[in-house]
Amino acid sequence: MIDEMRDQTEQIVGQLKFRGVDYGDARVETTDLESLTYRKQRLAESDFQATHGIGIRVLVKGCWGFASCSGFDSDLVSKTVDRAVSIARAGAGVMDGSVRLSEEVPSIGHYDGPCERNPFEIPRSEKLDLLARAADIMHASKLINMSWSRLRFERKRRVFGNTEGSLVSSDLVFSMPDIMAYAVLNDDMQSRSFQEGARIAGWEWIEKTDMILWAEKCREEAIMKVKAPESPSGVMDLVMDGTHLSLTMHESVGHPTESDRVLGWEASMAGRTFLHIDDQEKLKYGSEIVNFVADNTMPYGVASWGWDDDGVPGQKWYTIKDGIFQQFGSVRETALLVNRKHSTGCCRAMNFASFPINRQPNFYLEPGKEPITPDDLISDVNRGIYIEGRGSFSIDQRRINFQFGGDMFWEIKNGKKVQPLKKVIYRSKTRDFWGSCDGIADDRSFKTMGLLTCGKGEPMQSARMTHGASTSRFRNIEVGRGAE
Amino acid sequence: MTRDELLKVVEAVLEKAEAPDVVATLTENRDAAVRFGQNRITQNMDTFERKLRITLGDGERKIVYSTHRIDIDAVPEILDNAMDILKTASPDPEYMPPVSAGQVYPVVDAWDSKTAEADPAGRTEAAARAINTAKKNGMEAAGLVGMSYENTAIGTSTGNLACSRSTDAYMRLTLDRGKPSSFRLLSAEAWDDLPVDSAIEEVALEVEADENQRELEPGEYRLIFEPQASGDLIPYIAWSMNARPADEGLTVFSGRQDELVTGNNFTMTSEVNGVLKGTPFSGEGLASGDAVWIDQGRLVNQPCTRYWAAKTGREPLFIPGTLAVDGDSGSIGDLISSTPGRALLFRRFWYIRFVDQKELSLTGMTRDGVFLVEDGKIVHPVEDFRWNWKPLDLFSRIEKLGTSERKGQLSVPPMVIGPTAL
Repeated sequence: MIDEMRDQTEQIVGQLKFRGVDYGDARVETTDLESLTYRKQRLAESDFQATHGIGIRVLVKGCWGFASCSGFDSDLVSKTVDRAVSIARAGAGVMDGSVRLSEEVPSIGHYDGPCERNPFEIPRSEKLDLLARAADIMHASKLINMSWSRLRFERKRRVFGNTEGSLVSSDLVFSMPDIMAYAVLNDDMQSRSFQEGARIAGWEWIEKTDMILWAEKCREEAIMKVKAPESPSGVMDLVMDGTHLSLTMHESVGHPTESDRVLGWEASMAGRTFLHIDDQEKLKYGSEIVNFVADNTMPYGVASWGWDDDGVPGQKWYTIKDGIFQQFGSVRETALLVNRKHSTGCCRAMNFASFPINRQPNFYLEPGKEPITPDDLISDVNRGIYIEGRGSFSIDQRRINFQFGGDMFWEIKNGKKVQPLKKVIYRSKTRDFWGSCDGIADDRSFKTMGLLTCGKGEPMQSARMTHGASTSRFRNIEVGRGAE
Repeated sequence: MTRDELLKVVEAVLEKAEAPDVVATLTENRDAAVRFGQNRITQNMDTFERKLRITLGDGERKIVYSTHRIDIDAVPEILDNAMDILKTASPDPEYMPPVSAGQVYPVVDAWDSKTAEADPAGRTEAAARAINTAKKNGMEAAGLVGMSYENTAIGTSTGNLACSRSTDAYMRLTLDRGKPSSFRLLSAEAWDDLPVDSAIEEVALEVEADENQRELEPGEYRLIFEPQASGDLIPYIAWSMNARPADEGLTVFSGRQDELVTGNNFTMTSEVNGVLKGTPFSGEGLASGDAVWIDQGRLVNQPCTRYWAAKTGREPLFIPGTLAVDGDSGSIGDLISSTPGRALLFRRFWYIRFVDQKELSLTGMTRDGVFLVEDGKIVHPVEDFRWNWKPLDLFSRIEKLGTSERKGQLSVPPMVIGPTAL
């Protein structure tokens, strides 16, 4: 199939060259999706999709034109080429075009994401049996009033070609298990869920996550939470695991360091950033032990596609090194505008029908180099809370003022976890928070979260990326409970 | 595709399917838009999609299969694929056959041919006007302007067959000058009904008024919501309102059917073919209708699936894509001038998230304009701040409502909320 898609891409690129556009690219995609959902102990949704289509982007006199169509019908594809070119020409007739792409070496190649056992070849009965068992385990207690058990598999085959000579393809399988239990007691409801999300991987990721174990854990911890006392209020220390920090870093590091935000291109929707272009390699973002590594080559990371939707290869770089902000994630269109010669390869579209935009890469907080465990971090906390998993989250449009919840909470007193808590909320400001980080455990506690639903852009596009961290400690953070 | 061509594909699916229970939906949509930011056009796009969605059921099991392959000759092969999947599904104890025959679908007048056929010039020029106004005033413009259409045909094996079509024209505009900023959302079925030029000028003036922001002083304030701010909170109520999760003890509405959940001056409804244009049918082909959800503060209806309705003796109900909060008379200016004492005026909210779903408590930020109001006059702009509120509590303390305005698929009034500690 990929060979046919590559041929089609080359044909479209040939048409674009014939039309005399200044630059043109084509993305040809097919996606197979299988999504199975148990609501409580019942298979509530069996959703299957086989979709395909083409997205074409051209530049004429510095103005973009983008058109897409579903299906591969040749007449429709030709009309889509016409539309892309005519839109770009219409734009050039109204305003002076300003788009300048960074110069990149054209790429040719193919990338297969890691997949040991193709989930589409696993018997459906095996998948349904796993979901049914997970649901039964969660509902073994009458306090569990509601649960979700899900398996989602997606195979995305994509080809990118452009008029500069790039022709790249990738074959990626995304697998995502999901478990969530809700306990109801005394007019309160609390939930607990599996938090590591999706990976570019096959059925082996489902086996590794052990949904049965997680079903038990979610049941027990949801019950623990609903019976737990509410959060104390005040300023205290927080110790957080990697699945929690994955969301905190996504919102307060990943989004602020996107180049399109500093340029104001998201000002009407996702927002801007507190950073300035001149802050690169200068601004103190966190404490000296804070190092963030962006990595679109990490094998199971859900943003590791081989090449991005500019045809730029996946790369690895420091976003923050020794607490100092290093550089924005960029695309070919923004690289020169943020004083970089080359793109970092962060250009991705939701699918063939979307205009590719600047997205977050996979990135993670580098584990500590000293042998430190989560218990070591907790042992030096007199009053604090240990947080696992993500919960409520909100941040202002400049990515400074944030408020986060979590999925599981433990009160820490005199260096020990003493009891579960519920309704914990903490508030901080981005640089204050990362500046308060005084302990990062080594890689033995490193955990990741593969996110498939990061919303950004207009029309809204959801994108995917993986984040990770080892358990880390933050001093003197404001903590409260829900609506205070 | 024409209406007949859409129906022909749907009918072919219904005719050739071997499963006893079938729902087929063919949707064709086009969305053409210009995106701008930093006083430049950053995207200019025209997307087109046709998607066939087939629900197959055998009386015990059910699956959904979707494809971009739209070809009558391919229907048998598509159905074979779907049937193979159906055979592997688990029995569904909550299985429901397709909706009964004889559904009477409302006529929704939501189509404007000129908008559906619009070329790129109009939207590109609108973006250019926003950019030029921003440049002239030392500001930056960002936003999205465009138009879309959707044609849908649906058929059920129980004998229902229907089509719907709608157009949408929209503009989301932000102008800013560093911190001072303002925003406007415009939407209508017809491009010609969008007041693009006046909105650009108004937003530019609002940015000027947002200069020299001061930090909020803690204290008690009345809250004055512009329609956009009111509308930003409404979906969270709607998302919490479903009957089944409420019956299962999962939401703030658990056990509160027919009880007061807000003040008696708050009424929330849905309409299918009024000022707002909804969808004439649900995804499974159930006919839509106008509905009252909260009537003068009382929770009178909740969206309810067909299964849960049958089990609990309710009527199946769904939100047909629109929500309207009853207003009164008066503009936002009238509300400001008649508000006594100290108040804060809000233009819109941002990044609203549930803090506690069972309590329906939310957090969010202010965005694009907060102003201190004293004795009916705007005194100065205030810096953005974080809030944690329960919207049912806010809507229990409404002191005054203004005239409702359309904001996307919502119709919402400006309102004054009683004194609130901040």
